[in-house]
Amino acid sequence: MEENVPSKMHYQLDFKGKGETFFGIVIVNWLLTIVTLGLYYPWAKAKTLQFLFGQTTLNDDAFAFHGTGKEMFKGFLKALLVFAVLFGIMGALTYLGHQGIGILVLYLGIFAIMPLAIHGSYRYRMSRTTWRGIRFGYRGDQAELVKLFFKWVFFTIITLGIYSSWFQMNLRRYVIGNIRFGDAEMNYDGDGGDYLLMNIKGYFLTIFTFGIYSFWWQKEIFEYYVNNLSLHKDDKRIEFTSTASGADFIGLIVINMLLIVFTLGLGYSWVVTRTMKFIFDHIQLDGNIDLNTLHQTEENYKDATGEDVSDFLDMDFIV
Amino acid sequence: MNQEAAGIYFDGKSAAPQAVTIVLNTLNGVLQFQTETATVERWLLGELSFENVGTTLQLQKQQPDGIAILKITDSTFAAAILKFRKENKQIGWYEKMLASGMKFHLVLGLVILGLIGLTYVYAIPWVGEKSVALIPESFDDTMSGTFISDNLLFSDVASDKSKVLNAFAKELQLNNKKKLKFIFVEEDIVNAFALPDGTIVVYSGIVDKMQNYDELVALLGHEAAHVNNRHSMKMLCRNLSGYLFISAILGDANGIMATIGDNVNSFQSLSFSREFEQEADREGFAIVVKNKVDPNGMLNLFKRLQDEGDSIIPEFLSSHPVTKQRIATTRQLVKSTPQQVEANSKLQQLFQQLKK
Repeated sequence: MEENVPSKMHYQLDFKGKGETFFGIVIVNWLLTIVTLGLYYPWAKAKTLQFLFGQTTLNDDAFAFHGTGKEMFKGFLKALLVFAVLFGIMGALTYLGHQGIGILVLYLGIFAIMPLAIHGSYRYRMSRTTWRGIRFGYRGDQAELVKLFFKWVFFTIITLGIYSSWFQMNLRRYVIGNIRFGDAEMNYDGDGGDYLLMNIKGYFLTIFTFGIYSFWWQKEIFEYYVNNLSLHKDDKRIEFTSTASGADFIGLIVINMLLIVFTLGLGYSWVVTRTMKFIFDHIQLDGNIDLNTLHQTEENYKDATGEDVSDFLDMDFIV
Repeated sequence: MNQEAAGIYFDGKSAAPQAVTIVLNTLNGVLQFQTETATVERWLLGELSFENVGTTLQLQKQQPDGIAILKITDSTFAAAILKFRKENKQIGWYEKMLASGMKFHLVLGLVILGLIGLTYVYAIPWVGEKSVALIPESFDDTMSGTFISDNLLFSDVASDKSKVLNAFAKELQLNNKKKLKFIFVEEDIVNAFALPDGTIVVYSGIVDKMQNYDELVALLGHEAAHVNNRHSMKMLCRNLSGYLFISAILGDANGIMATIGDNVNSFQSLSFSREFEQEADREGFAIVVKNKVDPNGMLNLFKRLQDEGDSIIPEFLSSHPVTKQRIATTRQLVKSTPQQVEANSKLQQLFQQLKK
């Protein structure tokens, strides 16, 4: 029998969350976090992620985040312990009169746990994310990432920062390239050189246009992230394309700022839902993977330590 | 009592949708349906998690090997499920709180914002200032040491005139508990400032503008009062606690909020400093009177500073604002305080040495 020629499939991303629903979640989170003097934080985070993932849909089926406050609370405690030990060592060294070494140890320590935090948070968050019950997964190797991370840091230092562009793109390629969606694989194609040129252009044009170009710069960055993404399954693929224009970004950013400023921050929920809607409305998927054929392949992983270490370090999830 | 609806089922192993017919038993809260593999699934409502996505109700069941999902678009059927859960008290306090409506959430949000505001304006400065008592005075000295080595490195410290200034101050009673040290800097800046360790720096620019030694006495009295009350340390603690509080609250909001918060904090700290200025004015005035020096010198000093400041820095941006209000307050003090003025030839002589 002859295989059918893979036909073009229809894909539709969307975000269905309403600002007022999220507002309720944020306010209740706020209240409980204050009442519990901050201990509720991991649960608040779980509720937020559950909402944001749960309202994002692909072909009208929602993604889901299954992480729980309890898992993240354990991670939170472990992360706290890591930082307590680091600060303890610094304190002890300072007390013994080696303040310089103490601070150095602290910074090196924080630096050393960064790749571990990236690895841990991706591993945890991906394994707790599903679509139609099919788990995502992260298959990166911890030791390999640590080695690469420090190699890239070294290059960045000896090139006085110029390599940071390659650093970011290599890291993204590594991390995204190790994301699985059931039996499909994610891929990222960005290159440090292109990214650097794009940013140099964006920087200078923004200065020459007194900031106006910054919206188009933002558009190009978004485009560079999205357009280099793809999903592969066997010999089939889905390509991601950004449809956002610079003018679209003006609308998004200016209104978001006004929403925050004129509501004393209470408009934050609408800013988040608008932004999510904006992102998913402006990502177009084209390809020939039949989503119905995706299969469960990834394991269930429950350690949330990395997730919280990255929170403490204030690192954005998507590197 | 049974109700029936069409639904879509995902078995947690593959992403292929299965069309199923779901039967809800409203007596025991069990959903029953047959999968494509002809297995009969029985789901107890109490064991499921619920999510509304758009107009679809989505039920999830954690199974040993994954998560199975049931999607229901039939709104009557969804309402029947909700009714059963309500009647059987399966809706927790959290869900109830979320469902309490936008108005309630808005009121709650405003109340929280209000409480945060009140804490920030009233509680935090108080805590910050009280925490100063916990900081040993030796720290004031350490900090000032750093400041002096950082800031006076390139300034032209006049050692001869500094000696004269110290001699001038020695003639005065400055109510100080701590040893004061005076530094005279040759620079055309109309300013003077006090460091926590008792170092008071006076620029030649301000002394050159003075007509009489009573103005210099007023200036030194004012700066000494800053030192006596540990104003710099109090300010630092207030700013720091305010900053910590704001970043703790806004920590997970976003960059815009953090920036706004930061600015609010620095504006707030400017009014802190004004409060301290007023205190230093009052105590500086007392020092002037105690030393039997003409308090009109203080008024003259302010007027000079005002003439100088007017053209350069808008008042709200200046940390040493000479406001009409400060002048008026001092004028009031001059009128209401009984005073005994004695000409002091030694001060006059030392003052002349400083002038050139």
